[in-house]
Amino acid sequence: MTVPLGAYIAVSAVLFFTGCAGVLVRRNAVVILMCVELMLNAANLALVAFSRKYGSIDERGSVFVIFVFVIAAAEVAVGLGIILAAYRNRPVVDVDEIHQMKG
Amino acid sequence: MTFDFVEPVVFALLSIGVIAGGAAVVLLNRITAAALLMAFTFLSMAGMFVLLGAETIAAFQVLIYVGAITVLILYGVMFTKFSDRPRALFFQRQTPIAAVFVAAVAIPVALFSFSFTGAPPRPGGGDLPALATSVFTDFAFPFEIASVLLLAAMVGAIVLTRRDDAEEAAMRRRR
Amino acid sequence: MISLVWLIPAFPLAAFLLGGLFGRRWLGHMTGLIATVAVGLSALLSIGVFLEVLGGKTQSVVPLYRWIAVGEFSVSVSALIDPLSSVMLLVVTVVSFLIFVYSNGYMAHDAGFYRFFTWLSLFVFAMLILVMADNYLLMFVGWEGVGLCSYLLIGFWFERPEPYYAAKKAFVMNRIGDWGYTIGIITIFLVFGSMNFVDVFKRLEESAPAQATLTLICIALFFGATGKSAQLPLYSWLPDAMEGPTPVSALIHAATMVTSGVYLVARSMPLFEAAGPSLQIVGVVGAITAIFAATIALVQFDIKRVMAYSTVSQLGYMFLALGVGAPVAAIFHLATHAFFKALLFLGSGSVIHGLGGEQDMRKMGGLRRKMPVTFWTMLAAGGALAALPPLAGFWSKDEIVAAAFVNGHLVLYAIGIITAVLTSFYVTRALWMTFYGEPRDQHLFDHAHESPTVMTLPLILLGVGTVVLGIAIGFPPEQGFIHRFLGPVVEAAGGAEHAPELATILLLAVASVGAGIVGIGIGVLMYVRHRPDPAAVARAAGPLYRLLVNKYYIDELYDHRIVEAARTIAGASWAFDIHIIDGLANRLGWALAMSGQGLRRLQTGVVGNYALTIMAGLLLMLVAYGGYAAGIFGR
Repeated sequence: MTVPLGAYIAVSAVLFFTGCAGVLVRRNAVVILMCVELMLNAANLALVAFSRKYGSIDERGSVFVIFVFVIAAAEVAVGLGIILAAYRNRPVVDVDEIHQMKG
Repeated sequence: MTFDFVEPVVFALLSIGVIAGGAAVVLLNRITAAALLMAFTFLSMAGMFVLLGAETIAAFQVLIYVGAITVLILYGVMFTKFSDRPRALFFQRQTPIAAVFVAAVAIPVALFSFSFTGAPPRPGGGDLPALATSVFTDFAFPFEIASVLLLAAMVGAIVLTRRDDAEEAAMRRRR
Repeated sequence: MISLVWLIPAFPLAAFLLGGLFGRRWLGHMTGLIATVAVGLSALLSIGVFLEVLGGKTQSVVPLYRWIAVGEFSVSVSALIDPLSSVMLLVVTVVSFLIFVYSNGYMAHDAGFYRFFTWLSLFVFAMLILVMADNYLLMFVGWEGVGLCSYLLIGFWFERPEPYYAAKKAFVMNRIGDWGYTIGIITIFLVFGSMNFVDVFKRLEESAPAQATLTLICIALFFGATGKSAQLPLYSWLPDAMEGPTPVSALIHAATMVTSGVYLVARSMPLFEAAGPSLQIVGVVGAITAIFAATIALVQFDIKRVMAYSTVSQLGYMFLALGVGAPVAAIFHLATHAFFKALLFLGSGSVIHGLGGEQDMRKMGGLRRKMPVTFWTMLAAGGALAALPPLAGFWSKDEIVAAAFVNGHLVLYAIGIITAVLTSFYVTRALWMTFYGEPRDQHLFDHAHESPTVMTLPLILLGVGTVVLGIAIGFPPEQGFIHRFLGPVVEAAGGAEHAPELATILLLAVASVGAGIVGIGIGVLMYVRHRPDPAAVARAAGPLYRLLVNKYYIDELYDHRIVEAARTIAGASWAFDIHIIDGLANRLGWALAMSGQGLRRLQTGVVGNYALTIMAGLLLMLVAYGGYAAGIFGR
């Protein structure tokens, strides 16, 4: 009895929406960044799972995953840079408090 | 007694780890705990990749996510101060509506995803040769571009967090 | 020469352009010379054309270019040269020329000298177009043009408010008449399919349309004529138009523009004759206007006002003539009146000029010794106005009243005779107050002087015309040159009125002359012998006198009823515009601004909200996609 493909996709979906909920719900900016990483991971899982659907691994899915790794890493670096730079300006990490662009 | 039940069990354990870690990140108050549980999620994910037969990807997952990104997040946690507050204020003001929306989308999608049938057999051998060949021949150009992207991100991060002279002087005065 | 007929209006047009473009800076006083020469050339050409028509080319059409060609509606700019138009051409150009010469002297000290001649040249151009046109639409162009120039020239001294108001009044009243004219020509086109004179009259003969339609056309056209020719009810602009310089009064408001209404009716005689009662109406309106205006002229003190009301009255005579079936007499009177009335106006201008601007006759007196040329020429003109033989006015006016009698319109005849009495009375009064008796203002009298030659020479020439013209073209009555010349054009075919016997003619002539002498006699008695004294008569007549002096309060009536009504409507329109139309635009803008304000609240500045919006969009997309896929929404 092998695990059906749908299970992997379901896990990926649940993780993805968990991360999504976290982005929309948490106040701390760093925590939001962590949830974004969760979403990216979920996407990677879905990619790899689909690339295995038809027998041997389709290497194109895996290459895509490599690139997602790269992008995620870059994004975390720059995102943290932004948070730190903003923190230096006003020592607030609470996203609800940042509304200077109102109106 | 066959070992056919190994795979589903392992899968179940790993998926619990993944989902529990994710829930912890969203729900926990203490950030450090959340960050470490995020690392745990990444590890479980690496296990999933191995289960799917993509060992190279699993290796990269551990290297990049557990190794680099978790450290970065911890640095971020270190440099920002988050005061303790009552629990109700963890969540943004828009939480109720957000929860509704997310649930509305998540549940159908999750249910729909079970419609994917087909159980891929576990192949022998790894995925590394095919992956390597592909990256350095078919996808060589995007690979190079990716390295440029990393370079740009690095430079951007440095520039963003640089202190200019006025700030240096202020910092020295404060000491 | 007829083929060159388009040069006739071209010269004044050139003078207008030169004066308008270059007059202020470069030409200065040369403008007057250029304009006079231009009109002189036109006069010479008109004489040539006249001679050629005389020689036998009784109807020529000289086209210039095709103006409008839209489907069935085709109008071209071309001239119709026949006896009627050649006579008009001659009158207009010759009298204009003399007045232009005069104006060089009269306006010499005016700062707007070049402007005067510019407008005056434009006027002559428009009048010539009016007279030469071969279709109603082109004639309308000239019609409007003379109206415009009248406005420009009445308001010439616009620094004062009165000329401005008078000009506005003249233009608006003209416009009201033009409304009638427009309805007339549109109906003509609808009924006859053309606006060309020749075509319309031909089709009228072939297939006579309904009486009611023809009557409508004629009444409409006549309404336009009342506006232009200052008949009831659109006459009150003419006395006010005396605010303009005297040459303008002479040319536009005596000799030419105001006669265009008469010309219109004369030209359209076939239409009027075919439409039963319209000629009656023309005649009755003319007669009533004649006596009405004459009564007002009895008591006016401004010498130009007297002449203005006299013009209205004499125009009434012309329409009376048209109404009783004597169109030749109308044109004849038009020609003679142009001469003697222009002379009367120019003479008045000479008096005004000599007195340094005074127009009130109560301050004049005894000027005949100081201004002899002016005096003698005005005497001749006055006599012509009073219809004394052998002056020109006698022949034409006598023919009018005779025609009224002979064709059975006895009431109109009586009105004509009574008006003749009034006419000779007021002209005697005017002349006596100005030239005879003791000077009432010694200071003015001492400074009075005769006018320069450039002004008196036209007076003399017009005087010659006044004396000679009647006999030259109108004798013997009913068989003179002008009757043979114009008869075929304006009189209805087969409608030749019965030629009266010689005895009747003589009796009627005696009656006319008698009426004139009676009027003069009363005038002499009242003003020379003071039996009865004019002041006493005025006091005795009390209310009647006041009524006349205030011109029957017609101006006040118009102002209160019509002008106020127009103002109310204008006010209502303005309110509608401000509140509803502008309000609509403003509300729309306000609504947009408000919606902008409302939508602004979406920008909370909190990034989390924006992420939520993305989520909501995702939800929407999934719903839509799922719906389509499941066939719930239409495909």
